[in-house]
Amino acid sequence: MKDTNNIEPFEIIKKDNELTLKPLIPINVYYGDYYFEDIEKLDFENYSNIIVDLADVTEFDSFLIVFYNKLNKTAEGKNVKINYINASEEQNNLVNVLSKEQKEEKPNKQKKPFFYNYLENIGLKVKTMFSDMYVFIEFTGNLMIALFKFPFKIKELRIKDFAYYFNNAGVNAVPIVILIVFLLGLITGYQGALLLKQFGADRFIADLVGIVIARELGPLMTAILVAGRSGSAYAAEIGTMKVSEEIDALKTMGMDLYQFLIIPRVLAVTIAIPFITILADFAGIVGGLVAAMTALDMTFTGYSNELNRALNYSHLFSGLFKSIIFGFLVSSVGCFRGLQASGGAESVGRFTTAAVVTGVLLIILSDAVFTFLFQVLGI
Amino acid sequence: MIEEKKEISNLSNNNSNEIEDNSKASNTNSLSLKNSTNNEPIIQVKNLTVQYDDRVIIDNISFDIMRGEIFMIVGGSGCGKSTVLRQIIGLEIPIEGEILINGEDICKATGKDKVHILNKFGVLFQSSGLFASMTLAENIALKLETSTNLTNSQILELINIKLTSVGLAGYESFLPSEISGGMKKRAALARAMALDPPILCFDEPSSGLDPVTAATMDELIKELNSALGTTMVVVSHDLDGVINTAQRVIMLDKDAKGIIAEGAPKELKEMKENKKVYDFFNRIPTSI
Ligand SMILES: Nc1ncnc2c1ncn2[C@@H]1O[C@H](COP(=O)(O)OP(=O)(O)O)[C@@H](O)[C@H]1O
Ligand SMILES: [Mg+2]
Repeated sequence: MKDTNNIEPFEIIKKDNELTLKPLIPINVYYGDYYFEDIEKLDFENYSNIIVDLADVTEFDSFLIVFYNKLNKTAEGKNVKINYINASEEQNNLVNVLSKEQKEEKPNKQKKPFFYNYLENIGLKVKTMFSDMYVFIEFTGNLMIALFKFPFKIKELRIKDFAYYFNNAGVNAVPIVILIVFLLGLITGYQGALLLKQFGADRFIADLVGIVIARELGPLMTAILVAGRSGSAYAAEIGTMKVSEEIDALKTMGMDLYQFLIIPRVLAVTIAIPFITILADFAGIVGGLVAAMTALDMTFTGYSNELNRALNYSHLFSGLFKSIIFGFLVSSVGCFRGLQASGGAESVGRFTTAAVVTGVLLIILSDAVFTFLFQVLGI
Repeated sequence: MIEEKKEISNLSNNNSNEIEDNSKASNTNSLSLKNSTNNEPIIQVKNLTVQYDDRVIIDNISFDIMRGEIFMIVGGSGCGKSTVLRQIIGLEIPIEGEILINGEDICKATGKDKVHILNKFGVLFQSSGLFASMTLAENIALKLETSTNLTNSQILELINIKLTSVGLAGYESFLPSEISGGMKKRAALARAMALDPPILCFDEPSSGLDPVTAATMDELIKELNSALGTTMVVVSHDLDGVINTAQRVIMLDKDAKGIIAEGAPKELKEMKENKKVYDFFNRIPTSI
């Protein structure tokens, strides 16, 4: 075994029209492939009889069958006969057990050509998109019904769950939301300052930052962060429950899924999100102030007076109203995607990603709709 | 000549160190059926003690598993069968005691030495443990790809052989979620056999299966054992399976925290002097 240096895998004896091969090294998964090159070099066509003498093969595993197959295939169509001699009983056993015919029917899962797959995939994607939309509308409908019934069943709300989700989705999100929107206010302020300075319209920086943050960036960023933090978490939690048959258990226990799982989550986010947004707006405006004071040498009073003049309640409330809608969309999409999971862990991962992507997509879509509506209504 | 080839593959394969290691070790790893005598222990468990936190689950047990036998660990639920198996396959380190695989202590081995010992095992977990994101073929190929220098077509051929031997030919491109529970167990067995290990370990191979499928699984174990000489270590509480398949059995007990009986299943079935063993093997319910 140790000095396999310079040892050929076969001992080859050529005699008239008879070729004898004596395998010398183990025929197993570690050494077996050394035989292959040598087998290819053999000139089977010059012989009518090939003898494979297995007497010296003491080490082997299922690679033995691969080895047999290779020899047989090489001999194919060459008008030679291969005889295997001196195979031990163990070797024969192995071959018999591992190459037995399968009694059960083989499945017919055919491989399709690439372009076919490609087309089929596009078709499937489009179909899934539409069916997802359909199911989501159904889901939203059910959720609405559950929400309308909710005031009559308020006693059934698991207040502990609600508090837990409110804390997780709301309170715990505050630091990161404040930090990000503060920086956004600062960035918007600096970018605006460069422009406004050129026109000598320095004081309008407060208008710019105030309105952009309160109407758009505050609610939008808060919602996107909540989608990333809570929407994904809900999808993963509910998805895991789904694949481990907990959802089925709930259903068979006669529990209302919406009441038990979804409403506490959706309510928690929908109620918490306007509060986070207010804090975010404040942080963003402070960011703008920092920009105004450093880049434009504005005073605090100057900034706040201008802000006071420019910002009215309709700016603030349109932002908060949007944030409530965003919160509802993000949390219900999270739950919805979780419920779609099936199979195993891999599917939970897939739908968690989908929860965030769909959540953000819906936020932006509805934001566009609102921008248009508010324009028309003059809000 | 082989060394030359190895050097070439060294350049192209980062794993080759490990591979070389394995091939040197193949002496003990591949089926050397000539040695398949029943009187030489392949696994020796000596003074094993296991505890979780402060709770002692297994208290100072010792037993040997002979080369080429079908060895079963039985006992009621929660008596520590899976725990013992997890120690043997090196998933957990015992508080005390040693476990020798072919004379090498798996508890103390680390790094490459441990991989070398682990390559002697194929393990079939209770919930099969197939990788859900991979097809059956990929599940089986994983170990072959990382431990050998075989070409893709050779690996495909081996996959086909393994799947055929468990009656799953043609299922190469199926995902675990697309096949039934019994098929999953068989696929997991095919994966465990990827490198033709000399020892196969099973945790509850028939749990969750119908009696016919369970019996098929037992037959498969017997067949592979007699044809390949593989040592089978089976944890089970399926009585029929134990009596039909096992050559030697140890019975663990929760209260004794150890082995309360050892022998052939037929002997244990007649062991009237030990009520617990007798009741277990004759399916007599205990009062709660
Ligand atoms: N990781 C762990 N931590 C704490 N206790 C455990 C752990 N794994 C198993 N146990 C306990 O060890 C005992 C034996 O478990 P196990 O070996 O799984 O039993 P079984 O014989 O049914 O396979 C049980 O009482 C179980 O609660
Ligand atoms: Mg167990």
